[in-house]
Amino acid sequence: MVEVKLENIVKTFGETVALKGINLHIEHGELFTLLGPSGCGKSTTLRIIAGLDYPDSGTIYFGDEEVTYLPSHHRGAVLVFQNYALWPHMTVFDNIAYGLKIRKVPKEEIKRKVEWALDLVRLKGFEDRYPTQLSGGQQQRVAIARALVVEPKVLLLDEPLSNLDAKLRLEMRSEIRRIQRELGITVIYVTHDQEEAMAISDRIAVMNVGTVEQVGTPKEIYETPRTEFVASFMGKTNVIPAKVVERNGDKVTVEFENFRLDGLTYTGEKDNVVLVIRPERIKLKPGENTVALEGTVDLVEYYGFFVEVVGIFGETRMIARTISDREVANLKPTSPVKFYIDRDEIIVLPKQQL
Amino acid sequence: MGASKWSERIFGTPLPDPVVIGSFLFPLLYLIAFLIIPVLVMLANAFVYNGRPSLFWFKSIFQSSYYFNPLHPQGSFVTTIEWGGKTVYYFSGLDFGVVVNSIIVSISVMILTTILGVTFAFVMARYDFPGKNIMRILLFVPLLVTPFVNVVVVKKMFLPNGLINWIFYQHLHLFPHPIWIDGLVGVVIAQSITYYPIVYLNAYASFINIDPTLEEQAENLGSRGFHLFRTVTFPLALPGITAGAILVGIFSLEDLAAPIVFQGSAIAKKLMSYQIYSSFVSGFAIGNPQMAALALVMLTIALIMFLLVRWYVGMRQYAMLSKGGRWKPRVAKPKGWQAIIIYLLVIPTLLLTIFPQIGVILLAFSQRWYGTWPEGFTLANMKALLTQPDIANVIRNSLMYSTAAIVIILLLSLTASYASGRFKKAKLAPVLDSLATIPIAVPGIVIAMSYFFFFSTVPPFKGTILDPTNLLAFFPGAALILAYSIRRLPFAARSISAGIQQVHVSLEESALNLGAGRWKALTSILIPLILLNLLGGAMLSFVYCMSETSVGITLGSINSTWYPITAKMRELIMGSVGSANLAAALGVFLMLVQIIAIVLANVITKQRYSFIGLT
Repeated sequence: MVEVKLENIVKTFGETVALKGINLHIEHGELFTLLGPSGCGKSTTLRIIAGLDYPDSGTIYFGDEEVTYLPSHHRGAVLVFQNYALWPHMTVFDNIAYGLKIRKVPKEEIKRKVEWALDLVRLKGFEDRYPTQLSGGQQQRVAIARALVVEPKVLLLDEPLSNLDAKLRLEMRSEIRRIQRELGITVIYVTHDQEEAMAISDRIAVMNVGTVEQVGTPKEIYETPRTEFVASFMGKTNVIPAKVVERNGDKVTVEFENFRLDGLTYTGEKDNVVLVIRPERIKLKPGENTVALEGTVDLVEYYGFFVEVVGIFGETRMIARTISDREVANLKPTSPVKFYIDRDEIIVLPKQQL
Repeated sequence: MGASKWSERIFGTPLPDPVVIGSFLFPLLYLIAFLIIPVLVMLANAFVYNGRPSLFWFKSIFQSSYYFNPLHPQGSFVTTIEWGGKTVYYFSGLDFGVVVNSIIVSISVMILTTILGVTFAFVMARYDFPGKNIMRILLFVPLLVTPFVNVVVVKKMFLPNGLINWIFYQHLHLFPHPIWIDGLVGVVIAQSITYYPIVYLNAYASFINIDPTLEEQAENLGSRGFHLFRTVTFPLALPGITAGAILVGIFSLEDLAAPIVFQGSAIAKKLMSYQIYSSFVSGFAIGNPQMAALALVMLTIALIMFLLVRWYVGMRQYAMLSKGGRWKPRVAKPKGWQAIIIYLLVIPTLLLTIFPQIGVILLAFSQRWYGTWPEGFTLANMKALLTQPDIANVIRNSLMYSTAAIVIILLLSLTASYASGRFKKAKLAPVLDSLATIPIAVPGIVIAMSYFFFFSTVPPFKGTILDPTNLLAFFPGAALILAYSIRRLPFAARSISAGIQQVHVSLEESALNLGAGRWKALTSILIPLILLNLLGGAMLSFVYCMSETSVGITLGSINSTWYPITAKMRELIMGSVGSANLAAALGVFLMLVQIIAIVLANVITKQRYSFIGLT
């Protein structure tokens, strides 16, 4: 158990810059997630922490010890691979015992520890099976047991749920969370699934083309995204290009299409902005501090316990998500509609080149 | 501890690791020491005249009509002669000079083997007919390599009283007169029959690997029959077919068995391979720089063919573009005229092409063979394998040399495939990759010639057991083991790199990550996982070491105590009455070794026997 620090990590593959100076500080016993679309550099970051790749420049610390160029086998940051990388020629027992045998742990103790690990991942009795005789979820548990049994300083998980079906994914997600809490171990977790990241993490680093855009708790990332990318990556959201036309301290008035919204909070320099509005924060009834947008209904999508109403405002489409009730049920395409949004729920961010 | 830029650039890993560096350097240095430098030493000899750098020896080749006479060919392709009171069409071929003859023979063999190989492959890949399984087994027969003696049988087949005339002149009356194929034409026919399985295997694999939906789509758009074959099927299979054909061209260029067997006709000697060989055996001309120059001409032609095909096949990787997975190949029942062609043309031709192997067995179990068929059944030749001291001795020698070579080959191909397969970013990786496959394009006689110059002139080896001019101490076995280990390396290397490619790199990475060093990860993860490929590659290389000819009958035939099998076979077929039968017995022994190895390899690795090829 250790804190992990990355300072100015740069990595290039040939001509492409994979990481453009990554800084991260991961605390003791934290479940920390690297989240981003494919190609954003999250897996490269993980491999660099594991010691399977080396950065071109920058430094990595485990606690006070610098480990930047320490070979993987001396590092104690154990990676669970996306494809699990179980050795097909070894039994479950031998797979898990491998790291212990290398550490020259006495036989009796190996047996005890492997049993402990199998117990932890709830696979007791599977010692003599071969990996091919296990289901996907069981294979993953073996991979996790194999990593945990050597008592790693940091456990690294690379898209651990991506090869599992939807139901198993939910089950393994809470399983990983349970094991992490039980052992109090530092875990660095890589995923491209924002929902998975929010459910499992203590903190998240959102990455985009080789840079970290924002680090924070799931709530911070979701509610106060600091960039347009983070806002649009974290779930379905409305991102509306707009222009600042008036400033008054930290309050601004913006315009888009024929709409003029005043009293929004923005301190950035650029006048080209985007308005980020979460669909569930849009109401169909007026409130105290709301602005109103008048348009027509384009589509009503029924999801069961909630409904999404797609409205057209000039050329701009916006989605509102609301509990289905009688009033919403009467909405039809082309019928007029008013979207009400609390001014404090409209996040104004500088326009980003995406 | 810091990273190092040079280590990353050269070895593909920023942390210099002894296992990685060793895996690069061992095969690299070995190939440089026993392939590149010997060839360079020979090259140096070819470019020196009277102690000065000169093109003299090359001029002496290209200005002599004996070697180079492309415009005024001598002799006639076919003549009529009297033979035993009958008029006979005698085919021997035109003489364009040694260099041009070799090229013409090579191209002719490429064309004939392509026609045979592609036809058989297409029939096997696309048609389902009664007797197909028998044909499948029969197609396995010509793969068996029996140096010299199969050419002896081919020569007998095409004599005026041979099998061909027995069928087509005597019984079917298709020829107005008997034919007699000899000289360069005989060499072309013998090589074509020997080497067409290489084209067949490549073409068959290519046809089988074509995604059926590509052809179905073409049919769906209205293409049928020959048009479909010409526009879709054949272009998709072409890279594989070309690779096989070029390999055959190189093998033809370096082949010694056919010219030696046909040397009764003087024109058959006018080939580059034979000329270099004969300078070796005639002894006094052994260090002749003109022959070094000729060897370089031959090497250059072979290398150009090899590099062209690598470039071409590399460009046209689309044949492999389709997603993986097995599909049901498109097979159809042959329609009327197709069935007629298959039963009346294709299968009879196949039977003729496997006759050499059958003939070798007949020869081994008979006392003499003068006419159409051998006579006098006997087990004496087969018994001699165990009882006749000189025969048992060459078997022992060959087993010893081949086993030793296999150990080296396994070490070389494992390290080379590991280094170039796992550290692809390294600058050395493509170098090593090319070096490990290039021996396929280096004619054996060129290696023999290079070793002669190298070991007899370069200090650390001069005067040692490797120095063939040091007659008292020279141990041919050492030179043979080195030559085998270079010449047969590509076969094992190919099998092992295929194995390494199939093992996902994360399996080793997770071992490293869990605390294993490179050595431990290699021995506990990678090697156990590719064990079958190692065994398959080892057996394949072993088989081809046992039947290696060019170096065996040159460097290997300097001292009869240390003859390998092929040196003895060459001596026997040139020897007295009945000794060819003994050579055939050795051929049968080699066939047995091959059958056992191939069956074992198939059982163990469950792979098809499509192991010969460039790609």
